[in-house]
Amino acid sequence: MSKSDKHDHNAAPMVDEISDFEVLEVAVRELCIEKGLFTQEDHNEWTEYMHTLGPLPAGRLVAKAWLDPEYKQLCIDDPVKASLEVGIDWINSMPSKFGTPSDYCNPRILVDTPTLKHVVVCTLCSCYPRPILGQSPEWYRTPNYRRRMVRWPRQVLSEFGLQLPEDVEIRVADSNQKTRYVVMPIRPDGTEGWTEDQLTEIVTRDCLIGVALPRADRKADDKRPIHKAVHPYGH
Amino acid sequence: MPKKNLNKLREKIPLLEDIGKDGRVWSDLCKQYGVENPDPPWRITLESTCEVLNEGACALPVLERRDEEDKLSEEIYKDVPYPERQLLALAHSMIKKGFFREEELGVQMEKVYKRLSAGT
Repeated sequence: MSKSDKHDHNAAPMVDEISDFEVLEVAVRELCIEKGLFTQEDHNEWTEYMHTLGPLPAGRLVAKAWLDPEYKQLCIDDPVKASLEVGIDWINSMPSKFGTPSDYCNPRILVDTPTLKHVVVCTLCSCYPRPILGQSPEWYRTPNYRRRMVRWPRQVLSEFGLQLPEDVEIRVADSNQKTRYVVMPIRPDGTEGWTEDQLTEIVTRDCLIGVALPRADRKADDKRPIHKAVHPYGH
Repeated sequence: MPKKNLNKLREKIPLLEDIGKDGRVWSDLCKQYGVENPDPPWRITLESTCEVLNEGACALPVLERRDEEDKLSEEIYKDVPYPERQLLALAHSMIKKGFFREEELGVQMEKVYKRLSAGT
């Protein structure tokens, strides 16, 4: 190999070890295929679909609605149609292609107001609007979030750092297999004159679940802040 | 869930218990190898397996799977982080429902390990 053929960049570090969990995942999948529960092709189709999912389309939907009152009304009246404009087809893009009666086909957009804050939970399991929001975070799946959010939403939101004034009503939406919710928060101050792309960047996943509020100074892909300790231990 | 089924679900499976105790979880591997990806590479394929078992095969409906995962996560696999415990719970449910046996899974894991480690 000539020198110019060599990679001259440093590859990102990777895990060079086969874990029991990695082996277990493959073994379970292969046994399912061997037993005829599904085919490799079915599995590949789902995997490819899953890789396309993320929170960006929901962020864009909110940003568009902030800029266009007619689109905002469409989000409220017909979320399936509104989702098409951000590239998400709730009915036909699922690999199962079951059509309208299938899972996921009843999305709802919950519009916050200055006196009403929505937050989403699934008390039964972890139903989540994956076609438009990607995979759910780990905490969303935990029984303690699901159990407590419906009972003490104000307290749980404060654990996320979201302190709401007493005069703001909190409405908790409980998802189920058919109905999936996305929160449309209020457009924050300091974003006047912003483009749709700029607005999309500040609508993070947590804002869309309802446990955070968008801020003009906080983008979804910001690096996590590192603050030096004020009173470092042992120094 | 009827009590009889719940008791059956709660029976431990030594193979999976050992993996839960001794298997190296993704967060530890990331620390050792300096990797920042929050999810193990098998996370999406695991999700796909759960989906096809629910959607296509109707072998393990999502509500049933998640209910069992919650119970197993609280009792048997409580010290295992997510998504490793999701994987253990899925394998546990599949064995308890008779889709495959613990011994079969052990044999398949050996085959998979040999295949994945070939050439190392």
